[in-house]
Amino acid sequence: MPGEIDPEETGVTTVDGRRNEDVWVVIPVFNEAPVLESVVRQVLTVFPNVVCVDDGSGDGSAEAVLRTGAHLVRHPVNLGQGAALQTGLTYARVQPGAQYFVTYDADGQHRIEDAAAMVDLARSGAVDVVLGTRFADHAESVPLIKRLVLRLAVLLSPAGRKLRLTDAHNGLRVLTRPVADHLQITMNGMAHASEIVSYLGRSKWRVREIPVSIRYTEYSRSKGQSLLNGVNILFDLSVRHRGG
Amino acid sequence: MLIQFVLVLAVLTIMYVFVRSSHAIYVQASKRIALVLFALANVYAVMRPDDLSVIAHFLGVGRGTDLVLYALVVAFMAGMFSMYQRFRVVDRRYTELARTVAIREAELINKERGLHSAQIVSVATGDGDRTSVGAEDGTR
Repeated sequence: MPGEIDPEETGVTTVDGRRNEDVWVVIPVFNEAPVLESVVRQVLTVFPNVVCVDDGSGDGSAEAVLRTGAHLVRHPVNLGQGAALQTGLTYARVQPGAQYFVTYDADGQHRIEDAAAMVDLARSGAVDVVLGTRFADHAESVPLIKRLVLRLAVLLSPAGRKLRLTDAHNGLRVLTRPVADHLQITMNGMAHASEIVSYLGRSKWRVREIPVSIRYTEYSRSKGQSLLNGVNILFDLSVRHRGG
Repeated sequence: MLIQFVLVLAVLTIMYVFVRSSHAIYVQASKRIALVLFALANVYAVMRPDDLSVIAHFLGVGRGTDLVLYALVVAFMAGMFSMYQRFRVVDRRYTELARTVAIREAELINKERGLHSAQIVSVATGDGDRTSVGAEDGTR
């Protein structure tokens, strides 16, 4: 499986010759050792600044990151994907020159070309936030049941409707500096995706979705979150504002 | 029956208080008052079981003990919600602590690895009062 992604084949370079030094890619990692190294190496071919947040993996994921040129932040205990994302953003936004922040899944389901295109759009200054969507062009690549549930997630979210989003739970996002400075993810678990959308819905940021494709490999499928987890997400979100 | 109305109303009130946001001090005080009242009501119910039965009849419940049981269910739910909220607060602090430790350690590791990690001046630790995303702009 790791051999599937060949860093050489992508051949993406930045449009303006700059080497994306103002971009930081945040990759939350939890037990992704089989594919992680190749995913990180591939990202590094396009974006020189990568921070992997190891969320207490026990399978050598951290060592895989250490073999690459990516920054590594290790949670001492497992906190959840939302917490890992926030840690990565917190780490990245104090790095000098960081202007764009990309969130990227560790399981190799995203295409680096998509991330580069999203950064280019953010760079154009037309939008503050770029979100990837699986449903614009390549909907058929998403398994049917998953498609229905993700659609429902958007429909149930007032912010998602307001922003006319089609996919609220895509792990590929690009945030510009002001947004990253302002965002504070408090949902440690999987509800962070909805939390981000609801934050964007309440804010003044200009948000755009652009189509990306997802590689649903056996590996990413086996790592995908259970649909039942949607119940947990709804519960967490409904009590978000309480508890000081 | 009157009791059905009362119980449903009690449960809905708990749900509402639980979901909506409000001032922590107000909520905390209400919880404590409710706890004291519940304790006093229990003492009274033990001392004067006949009065309890009268109230139960008035509410449309067969026996006084049944009324106590219903009240217990509602109180249990409120207690569970309260614990859940408390747990969330603790969880957030714990996350902030772990994050600070992780980033501090990462600075050292990544410096040793020769990655030109910048001078990290301040890690976002002092923002314990940023209770939710976008809390600063007051739009929540």
